[in-house]
Amino acid sequence: MVAEVPWLWSGLGAYFAATLIAIWGVAPRFAGMPVIQNRRHEYAVLAFLMLGVTLLAVAIAERWLRIGHGPWISLFELLMSQLWSLGLIFVLLYWRLPGLRPSAVIVLPVMWILGSWVLTLEPAASHFPPTYYNAWKWVHVGLGKIFLALLLAGVGLAGVLILRQTRRGQAWFRNMPSNVIVDRLAWRFMMLALVFDSLMLIAGAVWAQDAWGRYWAWDPLETSAFLTWLLLAIGLHLRLSYRVPPVVSGLMIIGVFMLAFATYFGAPYISPAAHKGVV
Amino acid sequence: MRCRCLRVLQMLNFLRKFASLKIALLGMALLAIGAMLSYGNPLGTPVWVLVAPMALLAVNLVAAITTNPRINQQPGLLVFHVALLLLLLLATVGRLTHLDAHLELVVGTGFEADKLLEINAGPLHPGSFDSVHFVQGPYTVEYSPGMQRGLTHSHVKVKTAAGAWEGRIVGDDRPLVMDGYRFYTTFNKGFTSVLTWLPAGGAPVTGSVNMPSYPLFEYKQDNRWTPHGSNTEIKFWLQLKTAMNAEAHWVLDAASSSGVLIVTSGDKRYEVRLGEFVDLPQGRLRFEALTMWMGYRLFYDPTIQWLFFVAIMGILGLTHYFWKKINLQPWMDEKPDTIAEQAGKPLDGIGSPSSGKPSGNNAPVTTAYLTGEKH
Repeated sequence: MVAEVPWLWSGLGAYFAATLIAIWGVAPRFAGMPVIQNRRHEYAVLAFLMLGVTLLAVAIAERWLRIGHGPWISLFELLMSQLWSLGLIFVLLYWRLPGLRPSAVIVLPVMWILGSWVLTLEPAASHFPPTYYNAWKWVHVGLGKIFLALLLAGVGLAGVLILRQTRRGQAWFRNMPSNVIVDRLAWRFMMLALVFDSLMLIAGAVWAQDAWGRYWAWDPLETSAFLTWLLLAIGLHLRLSYRVPPVVSGLMIIGVFMLAFATYFGAPYISPAAHKGVV
Repeated sequence: MRCRCLRVLQMLNFLRKFASLKIALLGMALLAIGAMLSYGNPLGTPVWVLVAPMALLAVNLVAAITTNPRINQQPGLLVFHVALLLLLLLATVGRLTHLDAHLELVVGTGFEADKLLEINAGPLHPGSFDSVHFVQGPYTVEYSPGMQRGLTHSHVKVKTAAGAWEGRIVGDDRPLVMDGYRFYTTFNKGFTSVLTWLPAGGAPVTGSVNMPSYPLFEYKQDNRWTPHGSNTEIKFWLQLKTAMNAEAHWVLDAASSSGVLIVTSGDKRYEVRLGEFVDLPQGRLRFEALTMWMGYRLFYDPTIQWLFFVAIMGILGLTHYFWKKINLQPWMDEKPDTIAEQAGKPLDGIGSPSSGKPSGNNAPVTTAYLTGEKH
């Protein structure tokens, strides 16, 4: 077993514990328990999330030391790195915005898609292409991580808007603000996501110009990233100008996230071209 | 005077028709379709699938910036939309003036415009390479186990404005930039046989025969050439000895490489080493040197710095707008913040502003809870 795998499993274990506690916290059956009423369980969720982020950071560091470069290339590395950054940013939001805490029951299972995916992959060493020495890679990837984490936070709230159409959803998210506020908060995350998405595209274009001699070439990943940006812009125009029912609002956010998800974890691996770094 | 005012009003009314959000949404939807059709640059997709929606969006942006107070009276939003318009204009200028090309430069030779291959230039490209002077020097390429290409260090000599020659090292993400032209090293590089041809009764000519890319085509280092005034083709096969090792780190460079040239003319085959002659029916051939060639990608677009600057300005504008919007209304304020909400229409679902109910149960929600203050 390679060095990073035990840390990865431990980190995912901590995320799993956080998920279970978050689900326990919203379940109406336990609503009468003092620990739930006082929302003390949220500290446990926060603690397990922080533990997970720390353990995943160790996993990434171990792998970095083992193969000599950061988590930039293979799908295994990308998923591990995203699990860490999504967890880190969600921890910050969870800590600073208690109103969105119950939405962890939507956010954490989405992260579990990545968590269960990474466990199916081989942690084989990857090759670090010469074009990845460029400093803009850090800017591009860092901004992309913030963008995806903001979208994920928006998805959590979008899920709340949709699930609240059911009785069970209303009971689960009884401690959250009204739909107006949840919707507004979700779209504020979308606004910030648009800023970081735009910055990510700019930094990516600068990197592409240096690395491959063109700033934009409609390669599959670029096209997919542009479509995500466009869909986000369309969503924001609709939300700011028309009356959008909460369910539609939620579905629009989930649609943007799904496209972004496909861009991150699909497009780079169906194209053998530049973005995979093999040229 | 009154007539002029009327004309301005008529023009504004005309522009307002193009400023609608519906046109913007249509333009964005068409651009999304165009982008999907352009996915992966399939052959045969016409450029207008992108150009037409961009043109529609440009018209819509001009109209909206001019007539829509929601845009032109909010500095951040105005800067963002002006930046979008400028990006479209700059991208157009860039496509009209750009140049994309490839070239193969043999070590020791200089750049010449007539060496460019696969040229793709915009109709307004200036086409002048008067101030682009450089000479290819030796280069090295590092390889990792598994034949994974690493860093390229390509030495070039550049002629400065003062006329002096200055050495530089380029490679991978460090292009050689001269007069806006950007030369990028590529994976396409290989060996060259420098040959002198002495035709029977003619003047000697020295030239080079580039072999296919190495190590990509390590197994077929061959090429062919027909001497001027002859019908017989001469075939060359270069038997190379390099540091190549698929299972270890190694460096590709001319200094640690050697080769024997196998020359075939008609049914005769000759082995020629460095400095040796071979007598062929059409003349005499001398193997002068074994060196290398580097394949460059050439890129020219005078707008790239402006694109970057304008894009950043646009993002600053957008950030300013969002910041102002978020600061104007606290995160927990129940007051409506969109046009639809301001129109007094209730939102569906739980806790709509019109109902005044909290969030679907009997637990009141406080501002402190959402914003992280003590509770």
